[in-house]
Amino acid sequence: MAAVHNPVRIGTLWQQRIQGLRDYEVIRDGNIFRTSFSESYVYSSDYSRARRRLEQLVNQYRGMPFSEVFPGEEVTNEGGVCFSLRSNHYLSRTRIDAENLRGEIFSDLTLVRGIGEATERHLKGRGYQTLWDLMQHPRFRAPAHKVIERISAGDSADIMDLIGCRHAKSHPLVLGLAGFHEPEDYVYLDIETLGLFSRPIILFGVGVIENGRLAVYQYLLRNIGEERAALIATLGHLAGDRPALVTFNGKAFDLPYVKERLAYYGMGAPGHIPHFDVLHFSRRRWRGSMPSLRLTVLEEEILGIRRKDDIPGQMVPEFYEAYLLTGNCGPLVPVIEHNRQDVVSLALLFFRLLEESYGCC
Amino acid sequence: MAVAEVVGFLKENPVYRKRVVHVELTEPEHARYGTLDAPLPEPVAAYLDANGICLYSHQCTAVNLIRAGNHVIITTPTASGKTLAFNIPVFLVLESDPEARALYLYPTKALANDQYATLRQMAQFTGITAKPAIYDGDTPQSKRAAIRENARVIISNPHELHQVLSWHAKWIHFFSHLKFVVIDEAHRYRGVFGSHIALLIRRLVRLCRHYGSDPQFVMSTATLANPLEFAERLAGRQFELVDQDGSPHGRKHFVLYNPFYDGIGERSTHQETKDLLISCMKGNLQTLCFTGSRKMAELITVWAQEDARRSSHRFTEAIAAYRAGYLPEERRLIERQLKAGELKGVISTNALELGVDIGSLDAVIISGYPGTMVSTRQQAGRAGRKGEASLAILVAQANPLDQYFMHHPGQFFSRSHEHAIVDTANPYIVSGHMLCASAELPLNDDTDRTFFGDLFIPLRSELASQNLVKQTARGWVYAGRGRAADAVRLDGIPAETFRILCNGRLLETMDRAQAYREAHEGAIMLHQGESYVVREMDLTTHTVRVANTDVDYYTQPLKDVSLAVIETLETKNLNRVNYAFGEVEVTEQYTGYKIKRGDTVIGVEPLQLPPLTFRTKAFWFILPPDAEQRIIDAGLDLAGGLHGSEHAIIALMPLHVMCDRWDIGGLSSPQFGDSGEPTIFVYDAYEGGIGLAEKAFGILPELFATSHELVRDCPCETGCPSCIYSPKCGNDNQPLDKEGTVLILAELAQPEEKREYAGREGKPGKAIP
Repeated sequence: MAAVHNPVRIGTLWQQRIQGLRDYEVIRDGNIFRTSFSESYVYSSDYSRARRRLEQLVNQYRGMPFSEVFPGEEVTNEGGVCFSLRSNHYLSRTRIDAENLRGEIFSDLTLVRGIGEATERHLKGRGYQTLWDLMQHPRFRAPAHKVIERISAGDSADIMDLIGCRHAKSHPLVLGLAGFHEPEDYVYLDIETLGLFSRPIILFGVGVIENGRLAVYQYLLRNIGEERAALIATLGHLAGDRPALVTFNGKAFDLPYVKERLAYYGMGAPGHIPHFDVLHFSRRRWRGSMPSLRLTVLEEEILGIRRKDDIPGQMVPEFYEAYLLTGNCGPLVPVIEHNRQDVVSLALLFFRLLEESYGCC
Repeated sequence: MAVAEVVGFLKENPVYRKRVVHVELTEPEHARYGTLDAPLPEPVAAYLDANGICLYSHQCTAVNLIRAGNHVIITTPTASGKTLAFNIPVFLVLESDPEARALYLYPTKALANDQYATLRQMAQFTGITAKPAIYDGDTPQSKRAAIRENARVIISNPHELHQVLSWHAKWIHFFSHLKFVVIDEAHRYRGVFGSHIALLIRRLVRLCRHYGSDPQFVMSTATLANPLEFAERLAGRQFELVDQDGSPHGRKHFVLYNPFYDGIGERSTHQETKDLLISCMKGNLQTLCFTGSRKMAELITVWAQEDARRSSHRFTEAIAAYRAGYLPEERRLIERQLKAGELKGVISTNALELGVDIGSLDAVIISGYPGTMVSTRQQAGRAGRKGEASLAILVAQANPLDQYFMHHPGQFFSRSHEHAIVDTANPYIVSGHMLCASAELPLNDDTDRTFFGDLFIPLRSELASQNLVKQTARGWVYAGRGRAADAVRLDGIPAETFRILCNGRLLETMDRAQAYREAHEGAIMLHQGESYVVREMDLTTHTVRVANTDVDYYTQPLKDVSLAVIETLETKNLNRVNYAFGEVEVTEQYTGYKIKRGDTVIGVEPLQLPPLTFRTKAFWFILPPDAEQRIIDAGLDLAGGLHGSEHAIIALMPLHVMCDRWDIGGLSSPQFGDSGEPTIFVYDAYEGGIGLAEKAFGILPELFATSHELVRDCPCETGCPSCIYSPKCGNDNQPLDKEGTVLILAELAQPEEKREYAGREGKPGKAIP
């Protein structure tokens, strides 16, 4: 039997409980002994600065309508409507020497199962320089043939798996597979969310090369109901012939997160797309020579980019929540800027890594 | 024969003889075998043959029912082969459907490990690819993806499932092909915990529906008075019952032993237990002793070893304590020694109650009624090797429930099952799981009502008003900033928690009510067998600071209770008395506490604590005017009689409904409310209610009959802890009038009982005009 009851206190109780959960910890400045990949932390000075900024923005943008603050347009698709902002950025072109790359791949005999480094040295000493040469070898002819077929099929996701299996997933050859794609194929993705999984994605940042420049599309949720439309709009960029996804830590965060939200709405998952996670390649290239591998640190050290008035990524949820509760656009401003810069830095870092490994002129 | 000899000794020895109240003999039973509706596939049949197994009747019934597609609950006793009864049909489906998956839920790691070993062995022998795997908090991250993809039988626990559901994107394959959900030891999921599990299961079914599967449920529980009701409440489906045990057993002797046979008792329950243990061991019986606390287990062990020293050194070494706090290696050693016969006596807390493989022994001594018949039977069930005679002894403590059994052995052996309560209508519990559900899939006003009941719409509105869920074209989407599955814990009613700290280290957490009751300033607190004194309670930071202590006194809080009826939901009339059930608002205020050494009060201190107000469910009734008149005419105390009746009813509620007397609260008053009538209230001591008062309201005649017997037949003069004294009475057990209580309870019980009203054993009672 269910009695009529007074639920008034229940909602408040849960809101209090949930507010009490923190996805990050505020720690004393410079307390580097607390740093670890599993704990999310924010230095207390950054935290206070961000909170002050929030207050200041709320005051500054009070009463200003959305359309006045954000020059964008509405996007409509099967998921409904959402809001889209666009900006352009200059990008110096990096040409990858695709021939060089192909040569390197076909010269890697260890891609064949059964051939380790010692065997490779031995075989090369006997004149077998490339995988094609191995077609003459009685023992390795058959497996070499399989590998050649896989590479020739040109499915870069599959080749990434192949190379990632025989070497590390962050091996330079894997990065070099970017050379199998045209610049227009790359899709740079960075998302902002309401927390660490099981909560909505509130902003999708998508970078693509258009007319020689980096166009950044940002799909923003003006309300939670727009998430589906934003998901579909984002996936639309991955619907080309040979898309290649580029992210920073996207293997652990952005892609699983998108898949989770798709499953949440009962929408299908995207197919297997070649995924270049710049964090992994950065780690291999710069670990030990950088104070940290956070994107903001890498962009400062390597690209010389210094953000102004940026907010820590972990605080995006509370800024967005402030907007949801009050309708005041101010809190969204740094969120959008933060995301835009994330996408731009991601693309720049990606090209820098490519240049260093496979670039020419 | 050794068992029979020991029993004989107990009955003849002049000291023991006085204390042995009753010996219940159960004749041996041969095995009863059954027939399967359809033959088993060759690999499975071969597996049974190779292990020398012939299926008992109840196993066949279970297999037949499950194969026919029913949801089934099996309530035959421990060691009757329940596991095989559900493993067989699961394996049959795994064989015929290569995509089929099964989920097994266990409450403890030890049980999960046992089942994993069994499934692996079965899979290996039959060649059926079950690929069983354990998936819980200890499963390393690196192995999780492979298990999700490949394991066809996943063994887990409710806490892990609670977290896993929001990650269902990674479990699509598993949930889409889920054919079975097996819940073992399901009787543990009762009360508040059970309510949480019931809603967790509804969330699971909701996800399965979304992915197009509709798994079959198999539940295995101890014997219950209400198995079908319990199963339906827990899983939300209709079940078939398998309860006729076909497994064999030897002659069983169950002894009821009362150290307080004369109302006073010379030694404590635990000392008497120690004596019995030594006697059993000397009689060459391998004996297992169960006791309620670690401290007691250690004490009894030490006393027994001291006694044994007088006989022989080897004897001393044959005694050991066993408890959950030991390292796994230590426990394995004890288990091996038991199996090898090196250990003759083991004293345990309830850890062994749960299926760890020590095999069976000759005798079990239960020191103090463990609180439920289910526990008693499970503990007693440890005695009795295949077909051999067995001995179980229940040693009573000096409290109403234990003493009731000692004076009414017939009740103990006939009333062997309690009702297990699962309430799915507590708004605090339901709303938490609705939040989690909204984070798994958007909430849908039409379809989700089936899972969350009538409370769904009002609770959903409430959550929406706090912006925790937002309306979208696809339903209500979770929009809280924190993770729902982290905010919702599977225990207790959501409330603010108090942290108990000792030297900065967290000992435990309590909700406000428990903190006020047990951890107020000056309180002596017990935690895992150690004593602490509460130095400070900070209401703003919800922290309690305690310090280790070794004092010889203890504390008892004093509490004022007031109550207001919010709404009457149901009424009934029995024996000309009107009973009501409904929602009440209770206000409890702790005003002070007593300091006691033994039974002596050595001090009283005041407390400054704010009142606790909560809404819950209760049943109540007003004593009819003629009964009131009779009490006054007989010169008895009305308030004392009402108060004593309240205590007796609460003391015996656990006899009928699986709960603790601490789960229930009561209030009695000779002049309640505006109309000033003599009233007794009995309420669930949990905000929102958890179905206890509701169940009791349905069985009032039995409840009153047993309460009446308890007080009437107690040998004391004016009331004692064995009948109407309550260990948690906030009023210091005053006023109490035993005769008044008997009169009132007689009034409430069967009409015939009234005429039996007389004092105990020939002492003249007051004349009834």
